[in-house]
Amino acid sequence: MGRSGAGKTSMRSLIFSNYSAHDTRRLGATIDVEHSTVQFMGDLSLNIWDCGGQHKYLENYLNEQRENIFGNVEVLIYVFDLETASRESEYQLYDECLQKLGIYSKDAKVYTLVHKMDKVPDPEQKEARLEVYRRALAERSGMFKPEVFGTSIWDFSLYHAWSQIVHRLVPNMSTIERHLEKFRALTDACEVVLFERATFLVVCFATSHETVPQGRFMTVSQAIKTYRNRCSNVQESFRSFEIHNKNYTLFIEPFTKSTYILVITSDPEIEPAVTKANIKAAKPHFQDKLMI
Amino acid sequence: MVVSGNGRGGGGSGVRRNSTGLSYTHDGQVYTGLTTETGSAADITQSKGDEELAERRVLFMGMPRSGKTSIVSVIFDGTQAYETLGMLPTVLPTMYPLMAGIVVYDFPGVDDYSETQYNNISESVYEGEHTSLVYVVDSQGDLQASLSTMYSIIRTAQSVNADIPINIFINKVDGLSDELKQDTQQDIQNKVMKTMTYESLNSTFVQFFLTTIYDESIREALSRVVRRLVPRYNTLETILNSFCSKSSLDKAFLFDMNTKIYLATDSTPTESLLYMFTCHTLAAIEEIMTLCSSYAPMGEEETGMQKTAVMMDGNTRIFVYQVNSCLALLCLVSLKVPRHDSLLDFNGSKIAKAIRKILP
Repeated sequence: MGRSGAGKTSMRSLIFSNYSAHDTRRLGATIDVEHSTVQFMGDLSLNIWDCGGQHKYLENYLNEQRENIFGNVEVLIYVFDLETASRESEYQLYDECLQKLGIYSKDAKVYTLVHKMDKVPDPEQKEARLEVYRRALAERSGMFKPEVFGTSIWDFSLYHAWSQIVHRLVPNMSTIERHLEKFRALTDACEVVLFERATFLVVCFATSHETVPQGRFMTVSQAIKTYRNRCSNVQESFRSFEIHNKNYTLFIEPFTKSTYILVITSDPEIEPAVTKANIKAAKPHFQDKLMI
Repeated sequence: MVVSGNGRGGGGSGVRRNSTGLSYTHDGQVYTGLTTETGSAADITQSKGDEELAERRVLFMGMPRSGKTSIVSVIFDGTQAYETLGMLPTVLPTMYPLMAGIVVYDFPGVDDYSETQYNNISESVYEGEHTSLVYVVDSQGDLQASLSTMYSIIRTAQSVNADIPINIFINKVDGLSDELKQDTQQDIQNKVMKTMTYESLNSTFVQFFLTTIYDESIREALSRVVRRLVPRYNTLETILNSFCSKSSLDKAFLFDMNTKIYLATDSTPTESLLYMFTCHTLAAIEEIMTLCSSYAPMGEEETGMQKTAVMMDGNTRIFVYQVNSCLALLCLVSLKVPRHDSLLDFNGSKIAKAIRKILP
């Protein structure tokens, strides 16, 4: 949800419908609510309700349709437009949405995306503006403790935010993470990352580094998504990457029915063929046991 | 003469630029910024003619605001196309070194070609058998004025170097439909050829290119311009032809990784779409490699010979074999032959070694 022109449909098209950032210019205002269903990680089915932000629809959602809209909600994603003329009216709308949510879906999780961050080029300023939102929203949100992300369709920040969002939705996430870590340890890899096949969002990762800066793998998400689009321009469809040099070997390969895997090994004694064989051997385990 | 430095067109900063933006290096490390060329110390020369002109050079000339500096900046500095909108006019000629001793010179734009205005550029820039002229025309601007300036420049150039290749970049064609692009090119081509004949200018070595900084057309155009300047080009072409036939490749390119310009290719015709696809592939590889920058130790000199393989769902595969810190060999294969890949690897590394011997 969010005001008209905030960027909700652009985001959705970029992540779930393979639009490139340029293509989103073509999108018009969303009429009423656009429903779409996305298969994510095998059995998980996400119903996305993209609610048009124009005033007349908002009136509708908050009054006649409120039970329909705000009932049975798992996740509310509220999109703030950084460029907005009136932040106060956005906050008011936000308050009303949360209020309705509180009545009909008390257990929902709320995420707020401060969109169009590319309008602020300086990283320090970006952080400052985001902090303003964080503080304001922390006050207003009451029992919902929203996670605030700064996003833009022009860089990987959008992938970062959405990866976090879907991460929570996958039911057996901790099990998957455990098994992935085991796989990493057995293959002596430095890093192993699982991406969802269609959207290339990061599902989870296992790494041998102590600290991992946020958003590292999201650049890969964005790079591959963009590359995929470009491949389709020449009637090809991207399958896998393999980079091998003296310092490391990197694989990006299809893994299970709904995932891709990224494996990086930096031990020069490990032959790439071995890593490849390991990946192949692990497939049935993840596919059948973990149902992804 | 100013060596291109940190800023755009002009102010020398003292470090000779070899690569900026994302740099593909032997150890996989990616670094932004400037690197010093081995040997020569930082050298700012603001006086004209003090620095020796490179033997193999490409001269970018044209009216002011025709897009010369934008083009060179996008190719060499990795500037984003939209960032070039606010660029300042070039004041002094700036040099951008490419591989294999080839240097691109970006000259300030001139309005009227008159003797007084051209004091700064001596005729000697046009001399030499490895010199090539690129004239950038703003297709959205005053064509007549642009072309008349061009004829004057060509006259001067041909007076010292009768066979100098002339490449006309019809720039800023983004936003035109394909049909309109073709029409514009045809129109300009006709005008130019007619006028050159009329003015007794040699029109044998004239080529036309449709370019825009918003896609890879500038790189493709520059690749074709540079082709004639690459040392021992024939040898390289022969090697690549042999490589393609022996290893059943569709196409092979020798790419300069920083600029994504190809220095050599085999003799089969190069399609624009295919070239753009290879550029995108290289860009994707670069981005993925940024993930691994921590695995490559800093400042390692020894080349590690990277091999990259990109597979498509069909039979098409792209292999990139590193030749040295700047060059890579890119091969496209669509034939599916069992046990083909390891043979290709072997051949690829042999070819890379040969190329290393040819190009210093």
